[in-house]
Amino acid sequence: MESEIWTEKFRPSKFSEVVGQSDIIKRVEALTNSLNIPHFLFAGPAGTGKSTLALIIVKELFKENWKENYLELNASDERGIQIVREKVKNFARTKSLGSVPFKVIFLDEADALTPEAQQALRRTMENYSATCRFILSCNYSSKIIDPIQSRCVLFRFKILEKKDIESVIQKIAETENLTLNQEVAEVLYEGSEGDCRKCINLIQSTAAISPNITADLVSTILSNSKPKDIKIILDYALSGDFQKSREKLLDVMLKESISGQDVVKAIQKEIWNLPVEPELKVRLTEKTGETEFRIVEGSDPFIQLQSLIASFVLAGLGKG
Amino acid sequence: MQWTEKHRPKYSKEIQGQNEAIAKIKNFVENFYLGKLTKTKKKALVLHGPPGIGKTTLAHAIARETNSEIFELNASDLRNKLKLKEILKPAIEQQSLIKKGKIILVDEVDGISAADRGGLTELLSLITLTNFPIIITANDIWNAKLSGLRKKAELVNLKEVDYNTIKDVMINILRKENHFINNNILTKIAIKSRGDLRAAINDLQTISSIKDPTENLIDERKKEIDIFNALRLVFKGKPTDETLRIYDSVKMPIDNIILWVEENVPLEYQKKELKRAYDLISKVDVFKKRIYRQQYWRFLVYKNILLSYGISSSKEDIKTGFTNYNKPTRILKIWLNNQKTFKKKSIAKKYARKVHVGEKRIMNEFPVIRNILKNPEVRRELRLSDEEIAYLDKPI
Repeated sequence: MESEIWTEKFRPSKFSEVVGQSDIIKRVEALTNSLNIPHFLFAGPAGTGKSTLALIIVKELFKENWKENYLELNASDERGIQIVREKVKNFARTKSLGSVPFKVIFLDEADALTPEAQQALRRTMENYSATCRFILSCNYSSKIIDPIQSRCVLFRFKILEKKDIESVIQKIAETENLTLNQEVAEVLYEGSEGDCRKCINLIQSTAAISPNITADLVSTILSNSKPKDIKIILDYALSGDFQKSREKLLDVMLKESISGQDVVKAIQKEIWNLPVEPELKVRLTEKTGETEFRIVEGSDPFIQLQSLIASFVLAGLGKG
Repeated sequence: MQWTEKHRPKYSKEIQGQNEAIAKIKNFVENFYLGKLTKTKKKALVLHGPPGIGKTTLAHAIARETNSEIFELNASDLRNKLKLKEILKPAIEQQSLIKKGKIILVDEVDGISAADRGGLTELLSLITLTNFPIIITANDIWNAKLSGLRKKAELVNLKEVDYNTIKDVMINILRKENHFINNNILTKIAIKSRGDLRAAINDLQTISSIKDPTENLIDERKKEIDIFNALRLVFKGKPTDETLRIYDSVKMPIDNIILWVEENVPLEYQKKELKRAYDLISKVDVFKKRIYRQQYWRFLVYKNILLSYGISSSKEDIKTGFTNYNKPTRILKIWLNNQKTFKKKSIAKKYARKVHVGEKRIMNEFPVIRNILKNPEVRRELRLSDEEIAYLDKPI
């Protein structure tokens, strides 16, 4: 059955359909055709084709049996390496179906694992190397410990070029009978920051309102997501109203279920849009960095973020 | 100063209603040196009974009366096996330099959690080796984790203090403090304490700091009187030595106190003061995680000092006037919200699996994805339950 979720419906299922990353595709395709792949490490920003490529590899390797021979795990969802190990063990225990002598495990967002967990993962990789190949994906390869990197063939995915994203937009518009012009394509591209999955979601989300997609409509959908709220938090703080700012912060974190780390990242980006002196921007960034550090080190992100807003209040008074 | 400290009995004869136990302990300590050569004699004694009845006080009094130096350890020192070895080992071997004898006091042994059994095992082996009597206090000696200790030590039970004795003690203290509180209130405090003399004295001190106390103050609000008073002292007053120990009198775990301070500090402090105070709370939070992660309990000291004296000294001047402090509601809000977002999470989970992406990312992108989930075919494809569909159809 074909999916009605467009990120799935339009996900390439053959090497030849993938847009961008042509060098990587060529080499991965050759390795896959030899029916013996090494461990892979796919590094690069979100929405550039890492998971898609992993799926194509297993479909090409195992054909109709791919689901039985493929395990997908997400390191940011699976709590602790213990669970990862359990699942890997259970999966690797049975022999692969078909002619390929190994199974494939795709570990997404592997950089979410702590260095200790990665050490454990490395042992797991060794223990099951006879029966399993690993494909790891991450945003930054620097967050993956060296011993794992050295066991994998590393591919760096580049952010998709504008023409690539536009070709995807075009294809969807034709298939789904949408009307959209060049200007809209432009807004979609800007709004998705080179993240192809985000772009497709944005199109489908807009198309759910009307098949006649306009720039305004896309902007409305975009502004419904969070940066607006972060701006409000900072505006209250800079105007000296700590309590309102604090309230809004809690509200955003609860209602939108945004993690402390995501809030601090959004604040860090927002600083550059604030109407304050360059020197103050630097000091606020410094404090934001310290806050992000303490969020990682501490136990209660809300406490850390309050401390950050208190600094913004002071900055708003010109005494930061 | 805390009345529980100020009026703590110095001699065992001042301790009310525990004569039998006192005799047993004296016997144990005095015979320790004489009976040392006979192998059958137990080398440790466990004083057990409910909190606030004088276990620690008694141990100190006996030490004084037998001219012994006291070497004290409490639960937080005990967590770590290595620490225990490091501190206690020399203590059980070396003679006291100043006094004739020495008593090792291991306080609140039930404070060792099951996860840190290394500490208990170490304690048992130290009992075998010790050259000095060891006195251990415990609330619940029948706890399974203390079974080893039960075999190695003599057990002495201290009873709850009866309510007439508690009243007598309170009247005595009030006389020394030159203070009067009416009999009905005293009776009420005594009954409410349920044999916990320390709690009664703490209540008494709190009540006597209030003008015209009424009986119903003593009821359920007791806990909050303490935290409200503590906050008032920290936020309004000058930092003093008393500020350092202020949270000891609050019967609330320090991690809850963090929430109270965090909730109420913006009601008192402004601008620079606020920034300084929050910076300290932020550090307290980091220490909290470090204690948890490394099981290094000495960090507690920093948590306490920063949250009391530190916060108090963050202000430029003392504060006047009355401030109505709020109960922290954040945790409750989080809980309520989790109930609400429960559906959202289960939807995100189904969707995430389908599109090969992490759940967290889907949760972040939910505002955009919500529109896609309006499509009935998508709903069918994800096998959303009726409740999940109802959640999506509800206006935001």
